[in-house]
Amino acid sequence: MSAVELRHEFEDLLYYEAWLLDHDRLEEWLALCAEQVRYWAPTRTNVARGSEEWSRPLMLAHFDEDKGSLTLRVQRIRTGVAHADEPPARVRHLVSNVRVLDGNAEVATLTSNFIVFKSRRGREESLFVGCREDRWRRIDGTWKLEERLIVLDHDVIENITVLF
Amino acid sequence: MAECGELVDLEHRTVSPRVFTDPDVYRAEQERIFARCWLYVAHASQIPQPGDFVTNYMGEESVIVCRDADGRVRVFVNSCRHRGMRICRTDTGNTRMFHCPYHGWTYDVQGRLVGVPQYQEAYYGELKREEWGLLEVPRVESYRGLIFASFAEEVESLDAYLAEMKWYLDTVLDRTAAGWVVLPGVHKWSLKGNWKLAAEQFSGDNYHVMAGHESMVRLGLLDQKTFMGQPWTRDFEVQMEKGHGWLNLTMADPPALAEVLGAHQAQVQAEARQRLSPAQSDLVGCIYVGTVFPNFSLLSFVGFVTVRLWHPRGPNRMEVWSWGLVEREAPPAVVELARKMQILTFSPSGIFEQDDGEMWGECVEAMGGVYRRRFPLNYQMGAGHGRRDPEKPGLIHPPSTEISVFGFYERWRALMSDGTGVHA
Repeated sequence: MSAVELRHEFEDLLYYEAWLLDHDRLEEWLALCAEQVRYWAPTRTNVARGSEEWSRPLMLAHFDEDKGSLTLRVQRIRTGVAHADEPPARVRHLVSNVRVLDGNAEVATLTSNFIVFKSRRGREESLFVGCREDRWRRIDGTWKLEERLIVLDHDVIENITVLF
Repeated sequence: MAECGELVDLEHRTVSPRVFTDPDVYRAEQERIFARCWLYVAHASQIPQPGDFVTNYMGEESVIVCRDADGRVRVFVNSCRHRGMRICRTDTGNTRMFHCPYHGWTYDVQGRLVGVPQYQEAYYGELKREEWGLLEVPRVESYRGLIFASFAEEVESLDAYLAEMKWYLDTVLDRTAAGWVVLPGVHKWSLKGNWKLAAEQFSGDNYHVMAGHESMVRLGLLDQKTFMGQPWTRDFEVQMEKGHGWLNLTMADPPALAEVLGAHQAQVQAEARQRLSPAQSDLVGCIYVGTVFPNFSLLSFVGFVTVRLWHPRGPNRMEVWSWGLVEREAPPAVVELARKMQILTFSPSGIFEQDDGEMWGECVEAMGGVYRRRFPLNYQMGAGHGRRDPEKPGLIHPPSTEISVFGFYERWRALMSDGTGVHA
């Protein structure tokens, strides 16, 4: 598979994934995650240029999830009484700048940028902006998300009721 | 217009919505609460070495918390004496000097003005540098690693201010000799809501749990009975003098957690029995939620301990800064569990935290209308039913009660209505 073909394949996959998240198809989104997935979003700090250490092992994060905790988050939404998302927000994921850093037919690492817009009840609009570094692996013939590092561009953030 | 203090009705135990919505009340609070109380600024483990600093806020005031060259903790107003520029714009670091980026005035970590560009040429050497050091917050004291500061020179000692609360703080912070350290990173988030709604909730609002976190109940992760199994002894709320509140609850850890925590907990409990009174060590391993008046709270739940500040940002905006505390000698698996559980439950994405944030913002918006705000909010639950316990300080009552929640407003009222003439 050529580099261009691989990038096209992942662009399609990331757009599909965004569509699932925007249309409340969270169980189908979960199915894209490998059983051993790590999904994490470290906090950001304002420090001297070049000295930010957001990948430190014990750093507090906005997410540090495995399949079990991601599933719990989705189950919580499905109770219908997750008050911060009931009635649900309108959510739109815009995904761009897709770059396959390294890849073959079995495993690929790639980065993409995102803007997520959330609107709810007229008074509550949020933007979340950042970059994702993903590793996808082909498992039983389909690509599964094995690791996602979400590098948010916010240091002070709003209530995070969305997935990235 | 009413005096601020009249907005809290002691006889009927009600609070006016204006306490949460009125910009004049908010402005008065900055003087009467935040400029007078002890405010939490940092944990000692964040600044172990000379020159280490973190930046934070005391109310709306930007401050630098710094360990000086002699090892003493000083808190400076983070604003240059020349034009007011914020001199330190990083969250944390180590330095010998704070250098203002605007015109270059430079201060050492004792706060002295040690560098003035063109001192001879422009100031003719006449500027009295010794008079223009950084503004230093006059009172800084700490308790079990928690560093507090106060703008009020004449304020009572931190020890006297924390008073009965020390007994409860000790059940967490003094249970082992090794003590606690702060994890790297801070959860910071901005949300609608008045800071007091968050502070009062953490001072003892157990009543909200079943409705507010109903999603957790439906998933089988919370059960009303779990908070009521040992009334008075281990399931209780405490109203304390000075407006502090504490909630002590029991809940069996889920099996997966117990497996990781079990051995460590047993060790901690054994050590706690040596260090604390029997009544205190009986409480080790419970859920704790507490507020030190006005805006510092501590929460211990499912294996983690967080301390946090509810920074005021206008009547209907607060910024939460929340840290993770772990025992210095806890095994790595226990630390990692604490970190992950804090992220999952009480972070900006937390499956409990989100529910609370939704309430605080909606309360303030919904009660602020011209008609609604004429009618007070009800804080009557449990009034007059608190008891003294020979072994535990404060006024005690099992869940559900709101005695400590209203106690927060009794203290607020006392500070807001001291007759110095600020009217809402």
